[in-house]
Amino acid sequence: MTAQLAAVAAPTPRRWRPRPGAVVGAVMLGAVLLLTAVVPLLPAFDPMGQDLRAALLPPFADPAHPLGTDALGRDLLSRIALASAVTLGMTLLIVIMNAVIGSSIGILAGYFGGRIEALITLLSNVTLAMPVVLLLIAICAVLRPSAGLTILVLGCTWWVGYARVTRNVAASLRRQDFVVSPLTQGGDTFWVLTRHIVPNIWPHTLIIAATDIATIVLITSSLEYLGLGVQPPVPSWGSMIFDGQRHLGADPWLALLPGIVMLLAVGGAQFLSQQFTAETRGGLLRKGGMR
Amino acid sequence: MSAVLRIEDLRIETTGDAPRALVDGVSLHVDRGEALGVVGESGSGKSLTVLAALGLLPVGTRVAGGRIAIDEHVLVDVGAGVWAGERELRALRGRTAAMVFQDPMSSLDPLRAVGAQVASAVRVHAPMSRRAARERAVELLTSVGVRDAAERAGTRPHQWSGGMRQRAMIAMAIAHDPLLLIADEPTTALDVTVQAQVMDLLAEVRERTGSALVLITHDLGLVAENSDRLAVMHHGRVVETGATRAVLDAPAEDYTKRLMAAMPAESERTAPAVRAGEPDALVADRIVVEYRVPGRKAPVRAVDGVSLRIAAGETVAVVGESGCGKSSLAKAVLGVQPAIEGAVVLGGEPVRKELAARTAAERERAQIVFQDPYSALDPRLTVHELVAEPLRIRRAYTRAAVTKLLEDVGLDEGHAKRLPGQLSGGQRQRVGIARALALRPKLLVLDEPVSALDVSIQAQVLELLDGLQREHGLGYLFISHDLGVVRSIADRVVVMQQGRVVEEAPTAQIFRDPQHPFTRQLLDAVPRLDGPRRGRRPLRVS
Repeated sequence: MTAQLAAVAAPTPRRWRPRPGAVVGAVMLGAVLLLTAVVPLLPAFDPMGQDLRAALLPPFADPAHPLGTDALGRDLLSRIALASAVTLGMTLLIVIMNAVIGSSIGILAGYFGGRIEALITLLSNVTLAMPVVLLLIAICAVLRPSAGLTILVLGCTWWVGYARVTRNVAASLRRQDFVVSPLTQGGDTFWVLTRHIVPNIWPHTLIIAATDIATIVLITSSLEYLGLGVQPPVPSWGSMIFDGQRHLGADPWLALLPGIVMLLAVGGAQFLSQQFTAETRGGLLRKGGMR
Repeated sequence: MSAVLRIEDLRIETTGDAPRALVDGVSLHVDRGEALGVVGESGSGKSLTVLAALGLLPVGTRVAGGRIAIDEHVLVDVGAGVWAGERELRALRGRTAAMVFQDPMSSLDPLRAVGAQVASAVRVHAPMSRRAARERAVELLTSVGVRDAAERAGTRPHQWSGGMRQRAMIAMAIAHDPLLLIADEPTTALDVTVQAQVMDLLAEVRERTGSALVLITHDLGLVAENSDRLAVMHHGRVVETGATRAVLDAPAEDYTKRLMAAMPAESERTAPAVRAGEPDALVADRIVVEYRVPGRKAPVRAVDGVSLRIAAGETVAVVGESGCGKSSLAKAVLGVQPAIEGAVVLGGEPVRKELAARTAAERERAQIVFQDPYSALDPRLTVHELVAEPLRIRRAYTRAAVTKLLEDVGLDEGHAKRLPGQLSGGQRQRVGIARALALRPKLLVLDEPVSALDVSIQAQVLELLDGLQREHGLGYLFISHDLGVVRSIADRVVVMQQGRVVEEAPTAQIFRDPQHPFTRQLLDAVPRLDGPRRGRRPLRVS
């Protein structure tokens, strides 16, 4: 009966079908990535060069500056492209760090259980209770704010979600017969972890990472807005919006354009991650009568 | 006589671009007070047919044709375009027709008191106060044989045994005196002795309420004892139907005959494969296994001083109810759950008690074939990789060795590239056997190796095991609750109860002349094709 239900509910091999939302997400995120990749190849790419005579040009007014210039006359298109590369790069690093740290911790806790698990649960709760942004501000007050510092702090404090999920998956895998079997054949714990536990867990990690990207983009950008993170003259979305807001009345595009690119990236990542999460939803039984 | 359930020409298909028929042209009817047995192997469509009658088909399937009526109320008539709505079905479920599911472990909510769950079932269709519903729940539980029901109603399912949970499920099902009870493999997860109690209870409940019963099962013995009429299903069709006794005495269809022939024969193994002169596969001496239970000071003693000897080429079956310690004994032999006292000798050489302390060479002398072919194999690895794993661990992998192992268990190159998800239960179990044989063990622990398989597949796997034993001189520690299977494969039988051995004798002797009362109780509880009809006569219709 159970087997039958499973066979019906998950026909193998399953045909991969993109969801409409995921397609929209891919287009949005793709546009940002394209911008980041192509603009630096253009001959006019110059995110740092100042030209005070051409300051605050509106978009589409000067072919040399398609999206206009900022208060120091720097090319906005170039700066947005560089900012995207910086923010997305930082996000990616932070997500990878958290995924690796969180999954490793979760696997250890779930597989070994007992005291290790209790210790790790305590560590998770402490981490969860820490106000990350305030912590970063405090650290920056002591040390000089830098991109590296932001990556380090965020990269080491946002892993609890990964640890929780992977701990549960690892704990249930540990009870599976196929995990016991290699032990009876002379395999050691390392063998079991690398051959059976990790390969069965990383898809779960990937799903959390996909949904985490948008969150991390927003957090790093808020920090950049507060001046923590990448330092001038290197641009980031957050710092560009901060700079632009002084000219919001007369030249709103300075804040709007990086904001729109950020919206595309965050929204795109979020829509795209639904492709993964939606797969696992859906009930077992049909609802809504006989039809 | 009016039919409580009438299914005509039912067709169930998968949804999607290329619909596949899962059930086709099935017609069944159940009269008032009657018991209908629906038998078939997995994939025969027996569960789907009955689930469709309550509008409970799983996602991905739909009724594509035919007509279903419960108590003359038409729920579906595809030809006439009648489709009952969810509201209509809800009014019916639990009141006119109620269901008892297979697994009492997963069909109760673990976080709610059992009494409260029965009370919910009462309140669904009978508007009454919570208090009144609780009282009714206690009445119902008492009526299904739960002692001290008022007290036990407040406890949660984990404090109930499997049999007691199934009683609670039955209490919920009969809360509204339904005309029809549908029981989908109601005793498959239970021990034989408990199975007998639950089937007796169902018969008694029907006597009292006059409900009709649809009993879905793969066990011909169970329908023989518990049904008036019988429908045999195969590949989504009813191949034979008629009065139970008549069909079983003189089956007309080939498939029915095959199904009956595949039932473990009521005779013992004739040609033992014991090899004299070779060291014993296993000598276990006064094994004691204890578990710590959270919240309890004293550990639970699962195995209490059990000694066991298995010669090379001999099959020793350990039987008993769940919780009797038979699996713990096997785990102690393997070292997975180390014995706290006693000694284990494998293939003539003593080994350490803990798996972690055993050397690889010690570990390979005893291998295990697991019960559940689904959790035994890593779903990501191909068959070839699964069988190669033990060889890779020991750095002895060659392609040819894996091919040979697969050949030995009757699988070919075509299977080697597949994933477990693309194999049937029987094929998976063959992969599990090949993997266990890879390291040339002396002892194979077979933990209920065929209990998850259909009877015809069971017979094939048992035959394979027999052949392999003769070829390699393997000792088998065969753990099972199925005495029919045990009878056909074991040389000796060890009966365990509460961690101790209560009887040990050659198979023939155990079955002909059981000494211990518990052994007799076990044997009596096994449903048999020629067994007496357990249920009472069909009930009078008012």
